[in-house]
Amino acid sequence: MATATTEHYRAYTPKPFTRAERDSVTILFGGLHWRIERVLQAVLENSGYRARVLPIATKEDLLTGREVADIGQCCPTSFTTGNLVNFLRGEAKQIGAAEVAKRYIYLTAGSCGACRFGQYHQSYELALRNSGLDAFRMFLMAQDQLDQKAAMGDGLDLNLPMTLGCLWGIFCTDLVQDLEYQVRPYEVLPGQTDAVVKDSVEYLYEVFRNRPARTPYRSVFWHLTTPYFTRALREVYRKFSQIEVDRLRVKPKVKITGEFYLQTVEGEPNYNIHRWLEAEGAEVYPAAITVWMDYLLRLGLQRFEDYSGIEKGARLKLGLGRVAQGIYRWTFNRLRRAMGSLSHEIPSQFELRRLAAPYFHSRLDGGEGDMLVGKALWAYHRKKAHMICELSPYSCMPNTMSIGAMAGVVGRYPDLLYAPLEIKGDAEVHALSRCQMILTEAKKRAQREFDDVLARTGLTVDEVRAYLDAHPEMKRATYRVPHGDAAGTAANLVLHVARRLGRRG
Amino acid sequence: MPTLTLPRWLSKAPAAAPPSRASLRIGIPRVLNLWSTHQFWMGLFGALGIDPRNVIFSSDTSEEQGRQFGKGRGTVDCCYPVKCISGHYGELVFGQKQKLDILFSPMIYTLPSFMSGHVARTLTCPRVMAAPENIKAGFLKEADVFAEAGIKYVTPFVSLDEPPLVPKQLFEGFQDVLPGLTRAEMAQAVGEGYQALQGFNDRLRRKSREVLEWCAREDRACLLVLARPYHMDPGIGHEIEVDLQAYGYPILWMQYFPTDPDLMDWAFGEDIRAGFIKSPFDIRDVWPSSYSSNTNEILWGAKVAARIPWIACVIRLSSYECGMDQPTYTPVQQIIERSGTLFFSFQDLDSTKPAGSVKIRVETITHYLEKYAREIIARKKAAMAPGCPLAQR
Repeated sequence: MATATTEHYRAYTPKPFTRAERDSVTILFGGLHWRIERVLQAVLENSGYRARVLPIATKEDLLTGREVADIGQCCPTSFTTGNLVNFLRGEAKQIGAAEVAKRYIYLTAGSCGACRFGQYHQSYELALRNSGLDAFRMFLMAQDQLDQKAAMGDGLDLNLPMTLGCLWGIFCTDLVQDLEYQVRPYEVLPGQTDAVVKDSVEYLYEVFRNRPARTPYRSVFWHLTTPYFTRALREVYRKFSQIEVDRLRVKPKVKITGEFYLQTVEGEPNYNIHRWLEAEGAEVYPAAITVWMDYLLRLGLQRFEDYSGIEKGARLKLGLGRVAQGIYRWTFNRLRRAMGSLSHEIPSQFELRRLAAPYFHSRLDGGEGDMLVGKALWAYHRKKAHMICELSPYSCMPNTMSIGAMAGVVGRYPDLLYAPLEIKGDAEVHALSRCQMILTEAKKRAQREFDDVLARTGLTVDEVRAYLDAHPEMKRATYRVPHGDAAGTAANLVLHVARRLGRRG
Repeated sequence: MPTLTLPRWLSKAPAAAPPSRASLRIGIPRVLNLWSTHQFWMGLFGALGIDPRNVIFSSDTSEEQGRQFGKGRGTVDCCYPVKCISGHYGELVFGQKQKLDILFSPMIYTLPSFMSGHVARTLTCPRVMAAPENIKAGFLKEADVFAEAGIKYVTPFVSLDEPPLVPKQLFEGFQDVLPGLTRAEMAQAVGEGYQALQGFNDRLRRKSREVLEWCAREDRACLLVLARPYHMDPGIGHEIEVDLQAYGYPILWMQYFPTDPDLMDWAFGEDIRAGFIKSPFDIRDVWPSSYSSNTNEILWGAKVAARIPWIACVIRLSSYECGMDQPTYTPVQQIIERSGTLFFSFQDLDSTKPAGSVKIRVETITHYLEKYAREIIARKKAAMAPGCPLAQR
């Protein structure tokens, strides 16, 4: 039994990170995919910080996370907690715990939600205590005043130019990632896409690192009007144009949805699902961070919708918010055009909300909320994918609810191929075999669709191939095949060739 | 006269007098945050002209209920307090002698907490708020069971901690099912709902204070239960606190702990003056991410337990796979144990009552209480500021 004490328990409060420490302290961050992490590093360096990306989380990190924090965590918590702890332990072995606390700080996203994501600080805190790293400084970039902002110190200035840099970085890397996944399954020379992407991301790293400095308000104007980023993306487009592709390979298109961390990372935390699907013969339609942020904007604006007519100024705020959301989407589309409009468009949040409405209320937040349902229906109705692969962490509270609501959707649309995968981190075979079962059906469906298109157009594969050989520009990765009446890339290519030949599809 | 007549001429022809709503039968699943807000709904329905005898709550949760009425309706694996709702829905749809007209299952987004304004937000758990959508899917996936049974399914989204918004939300939820409903009528009914809830909470807090004052007068120990509202359901919380009460220890639930200013000033005044917190209901000193209403209250309850001498023991109840409770295990235990208060946790509660292990643990708890309660009270009293208002009457 513990003895009574007048010293009550207090939560972890990190020592502030001061401006004077900027040159000697390295900011650690991670938890996204490597492309955006590399560009965010450039944005931080451009703003005068030392920044380092944490290594991608591994199964070993998962086990460490489970060991050092409270039981029953969701797997993203275990992965990210263990990832940080293992990195710090490794550094501590070399330079000692005190020096680690002095040289590094960890920056992560806070949340305003009620699920465990908003309470990650507790897991990190416990893990640091259990690892003898109590003095290490960890900061949550929260969306409200009650978090640790006050204790953060003046070392990190989350100013407008830096925020815009992060945002533009997300747009650019989303566009690159999307094109990468459209190209790699069809590349003629294996490995060429990976090489081009690596080169492109390094190029973007330099672009963002050398971004001209501007005052906050000038920075807004500059970002919105400058050709600096469109020029950079045209260069990326040029790099991609060197890749030769064979789009007549029939592949099922698989759209990734799910919990933010699991749909974004690429590695062991999600069983390398992107690469696994490609290896199994699929074309992956990755989840863009841009869409997620557009959803967050919509969620925020819904509050003003609800308060319209109740709270003074709510309509005005809603109007201004809609303008901001419009600028957000306009900017993304402007950059997308610089990449030849090859990457997928961002779906309208209003359409997603309308599609999901009969199954999931738009005001229920946490996880992907109604967007998970909306995206599945959007992909189904608009023939954007043959199959939805939904990644949900084991015991994820909000996502489980959206998945449950999907039972109603699947009941209404029984031919919607939906694979909700519960990701535990260490039950890979179970999750992947489950995915494989649905993928098998998706493959059959893609082949059936392709055969139907050939039958409808009266073309044969040889005829289409001969046409492509006669038009080599169509074999470039940057050739835009319009989205026709099919989900599959090969089927859409046949439809396109048929139209060019004047045939009816 | 003309000014009164003109709008009347321009308005639509007067509708027929709204039919009486007294005969409408409304079924409500007795689940989740209905356990802490039911008085609001009773006040609301009463004000809307629903006969209270026609407001039917489903039974307490039981395995039998799930087997009989919820079978085959599950859509996803999640915590038992949410999963069991299928059985409650099923009982209301299939298990009533007299058919219901409406199945009412609100999606409660925020809760009217006494901590509101002192914490970041008062959200409900993401699973709890969305449970009706999830459970509904199980009743729609093959056919529309509600329609087949002639029952209207009403599931308004409601932010109970944002009173200006609630009439609008509930009007939208009920306008198609309550004949003749007007916005003004709903606004008034919402006001009466809040009054009913406040009155009920005040009564229970007064009762809790009486218990605490008795403990202070007699220098006797009491136990505080830290749990979510639905742990009051015998099928979820398994009446563990009842077993403990049988040994003669008064039991208090954190949800109804007295919040009188004199008691709060005494318990938290020192922390406020030292700058750790800004008010007695501020928990930033122990829990910076204060978004979840029930979590906030649990953390606050732990702080209270650490400061009130006669709370010699805290019982923590938590359901299997509760993601909201998981990050709080260590801080709650630390807050309580650092004060020298006994702490016992019943985690991973599920559908089955682990009667044998509960019995052994209850005996262990009472053994410790018999042995240490007096000493714990004395030590906590010595550590606290003088002038406890509980001991002054």
